Amino acid sequence: MRDITLSKAVNEAIAEEMRRDPTIFLIGEDVAEAGTPFKVLSGLVEEFGPERIIDTPIAEPGFMGIAVGAAMTGSRPIVDLMFGDFLFLVMDQLCNQAAKTHYMSGGKLNVPLVLRTNLGATRRSAAQHSQSLHALVAHIPGLKVAMPSSAYEAKGLMKTAIRDNNPVVIFEDKLMYNDKSPVPEGEYLIPFGQANIKREGTDITLIGTSSMVQVAERAAELLAAEGISAEVIDPRTIVPLDEETILRSVRKTSRAIVIDEGHQSYGITGEIASRIMEKAFYHLDGPVIRMGAMDVPVPFSPALEDVTVPTPEGVAENARRLMRGEMFHAA
Amino acid sequence: MNTAKARTNSEDYLRMYRQMVRIRSFEDNANQLYLSAKMPGLTHMYSGEEAVAVGICEALRVTDKITSTHRGHGHCVAKGAEFRQMFCELLGKEEGYCRGKGGSMHIADQANGNLGANAIVGGSMGIATGAALSAKRLGRDDVTVCFFGDGATAQGLMYEVMNMAALWKLPVIYACENNLYGEYTKVEETAAGSITARAEAFGIEAFTVDGQDVLAVNDLTQKLVARARKGEGPFFVELMTYRYHGHHVGDINREYYRSKEEEADWKANRDPITNFGKWLATEGIATDAELEAIRAEVKADAAAAVDYALAAKYPDTSEVGMHVYAANG
Amino acid sequence: MPALGMAQETGLIVSWLKQPGDAVRTGEALMEVETDKAVMEVEALADGFLSDVRAAPGESVPVGQVVAMIADSADVVPATQIRPVGTEPAAAAAPVALPEGQNIIMPALGMAQETGRVVSWAKVPGEAVAADDVLLEVETDKSTMEVPAGHDGFVAALLAEAGQDVPVGDVIAIITASKPDAPIQARAAAHSAVSEPTPVAPTAPAPHRALEAVVAPDGRILASPKARRLAAEEGLDLGRLVAAGHKQPFHVTDLETLRNLSVTQVDASILPVSAAPATMMHAAHQIGARAPLAGTIDFLARMEAEAGITLPPDTLWARFAAEAYRAAAGVAEIMVEVAALGADPRRIANPDRARLSDQSEDTSGRPAALILRDLTASPITTMRVGPSTAPILSIGKDGESYLLTLDFTDGQLSEDAAIAFITGFAGRLSEPLLHMI
Repeated sequence: MRDITLSKAVNEAIAEEMRRDPTIFLIGEDVAEAGTPFKVLSGLVEEFGPERIIDTPIAEPGFMGIAVGAAMTGSRPIVDLMFGDFLFLVMDQLCNQAAKTHYMSGGKLNVPLVLRTNLGATRRSAAQHSQSLHALVAHIPGLKVAMPSSAYEAKGLMKTAIRDNNPVVIFEDKLMYNDKSPVPEGEYLIPFGQANIKREGTDITLIGTSSMVQVAERAAELLAAEGISAEVIDPRTIVPLDEETILRSVRKTSRAIVIDEGHQSYGITGEIASRIMEKAFYHLDGPVIRMGAMDVPVPFSPALEDVTVPTPEGVAENARRLMRGEMFHAA
Repeated sequence: MNTAKARTNSEDYLRMYRQMVRIRSFEDNANQLYLSAKMPGLTHMYSGEEAVAVGICEALRVTDKITSTHRGHGHCVAKGAEFRQMFCELLGKEEGYCRGKGGSMHIADQANGNLGANAIVGGSMGIATGAALSAKRLGRDDVTVCFFGDGATAQGLMYEVMNMAALWKLPVIYACENNLYGEYTKVEETAAGSITARAEAFGIEAFTVDGQDVLAVNDLTQKLVARARKGEGPFFVELMTYRYHGHHVGDINREYYRSKEEEADWKANRDPITNFGKWLATEGIATDAELEAIRAEVKADAAAAVDYALAAKYPDTSEVGMHVYAANG
Repeated sequence: MPALGMAQETGLIVSWLKQPGDAVRTGEALMEVETDKAVMEVEALADGFLSDVRAAPGESVPVGQVVAMIADSADVVPATQIRPVGTEPAAAAAPVALPEGQNIIMPALGMAQETGRVVSWAKVPGEAVAADDVLLEVETDKSTMEVPAGHDGFVAALLAEAGQDVPVGDVIAIITASKPDAPIQARAAAHSAVSEPTPVAPTAPAPHRALEAVVAPDGRILASPKARRLAAEEGLDLGRLVAAGHKQPFHVTDLETLRNLSVTQVDASILPVSAAPATMMHAAHQIGARAPLAGTIDFLARMEAEAGITLPPDTLWARFAAEAYRAAAGVAEIMVEVAALGADPRRIANPDRARLSDQSEDTSGRPAALILRDLTASPITTMRVGPSTAPILSIGKDGESYLLTLDFTDGQLSEDAAIAFITGFAGRLSEPLLHMI
């Protein structure tokens, strides 16, 4: 085991899969020599050439549509969408075309493509380069959605995504590209729909996605110092969602906080909280708490931006209140 | 029309005639099914535009790809689909091409290279271009034809993908079926300047052809397909044509956007099947009686397929959750 | 150190291309910097003289940190040697270093309150404090109130003095988990240093506005789904927590209190005398039994004949009931209430511990642990009525037998105790003499 950055892990996953399968190509803006603004793809064009690492004009709907057509005809494209915010530009091609083709054709046509993009605020990139829009695509049947929380997950989930016969949207946290964590030398894949229990605990379940897994883990450390034992669960993919692991944990702890960097309203936190409420209601000893990003466009000023996303302290404080049995909202 | 080739290609010509008749016959039946409330949903008739689909698809191989539109029955038939499975799909039956999940606007027939009809106007331009990229990258010499109407030329996606197709010399032919109306609006009111000039701006060779003349369409397409296979694509073709029916079945009172006289004139003087039939008879390729026999045979085929589809069973409701995700393995 | 890549956090200084004191012009290369991707030259952004170089070649410097200055004149160039980052001379007086811990803020106690006055501190710096301990007294325009610490730990810093007005939301104290080495008591002036606008912890929970007991307007008990389920499974009545004044909503931890509450009440044989709300009802149970009339009649006749004592039957029943109840429920004190239909009830304390001829009425007002209802003078054989604060033993007549009916709830008697009680009572009625010896 060695420590590598999340960026390197993604790069390795793509390179390994491209060596294995010549039908894979990568397409997007400045993915070749530039290797993306985050330098995640550096070195790939040198190995695989411009025929397989394809630089496009700045035309997201165009190259997204091209990838859908290529995926329907024997290729396995990886689409690089520079910022998650640009999802809005590709929505027709992703949601009306890629997501529905297999179904509308009665199972005859497949769209095995990967759309890799990112999420995450606090990079001072303001409202159009900081959004976490995974709930938007998780809402659409036919798309799978993976959310790696570390270099290990980034590599294993990317490889699984590339081999999947469906359109998969994979969201990397752009603040974690330089974070190092242990990644095995050998090949491994992480199956979709299998949550990871990052930390075991008995008093409260903290379910975090992507960047919020670290937040949940840090909150769990704060709580441990106070004698509160928190279990931290990383679903790793939100479509499919490993409901069983979450429910098993909540049945044990009776309390849950769901933490996600998407906007809190109509988001992932609400979905997971709702499933817990429906399926583990009589095991709950308090309300399931949602902690998402504030329902505001991401502001630029660091002073403002920092208050929009959940923090370990905020999670820990809500956990304490749950443990104390406080009312969160008056009856 | 080209007299010189007539005798050497008589078999091809008769197949083109039959295919056009099949499309007309399919649409006549679909129209009736819809009007008699036996067919649910929305449907858009291709009648009048047969020479476009047939002229182009007869120049393609089975492995060549097409992407189609909401007005797609003609493309589907021309690319080789069977009546039975098409009518079953129109009626939402289990034996339909898409097991009843697509319907009139989404028939896909991948065995014949039809990547599916698209109900988003202009929605398939990326797909067609991507299919061409796939073929080029994987070393196949397939050509993809992207069918779309004049209305779709207003969509931005078209310009994004033509730009890339031109940059990367992709084997794709953009086939603009200019039937003069986008939904309920004249093309002059929605398209500024020249449609072909837009493709030319990307350095794409563009052509305008009489879409009612199946031989003209076929000749041009054959040349362009051959060049595209050699890596000389992409190409753009504007096919001047006309739809006999309204935008969709049920668009009856349409005099506010086009006159009955105009419709009557196209039907009387520019019908692609009638005119091609006259030419076949003039050239001595087929007698009127032989052509009548083809029409009767196709009509009977269509009637039988409709009966079959009406009696066919619906998919079991348990299928509703099938095909959301493709299996892995 | 410029940010040269999108995900770059540090830059490695490869070399300085100018020396301190050198004149530089805008656009001239100053130094070579390596990021994770490339080595590039960084240009000067101003004309002047290179000064105060703070990072040496080979050092990795966080993006945004000053690595050197460009001065207006060569004169002011200090003869600084290149030195490692972080050893810069103190430019200004360092602000007071505050301990890391839970920040206690001036709470908003009123709707439009902007400041609060610290009346007094209840703790001194360094003192241990529990979350529920009063930390200070605060005066608002409305009133004076005590503010609890909210966290367990030690008072590491008190940042406002008694008498000081502090804006709502400002940190006024810090509580740390471990005992502070040097606890801080700030003077009034120091306070402003703390209220610098460091961004507040994101998703700071809303002020705790529902610490007080909450009661649903319709009288419904507020409890967590799990607490409700477990209570139902164990036959526990959450209403008793309400009656005992416990704070809603109830959670699983409250069930322990409830269990203890039940045990305590049976032990003392004193059930709440106050009219119990309907919500207090436990699952009701009923057991019936039969005993011959002859036993009681013969015994009372014998008492009269042999000792000249005339006793009403309920005196005998009260004694037998107390005996049987004590044996079955194992209690120390038994107040038995005896009531015939239509007559005023009377209470007898521990009727099994006094002579039959000496059963005086207890007028202390203590509640009954057991109610005996005499139906023998009426045509009623058995009856089940509304909730009661104590088990009811009804005695009716049917031919040559007494019909005995015991009504009780989970919280009053266990099933086993109830069976033992009514069995013991019926046995005594059958053979009174045997039990009077």
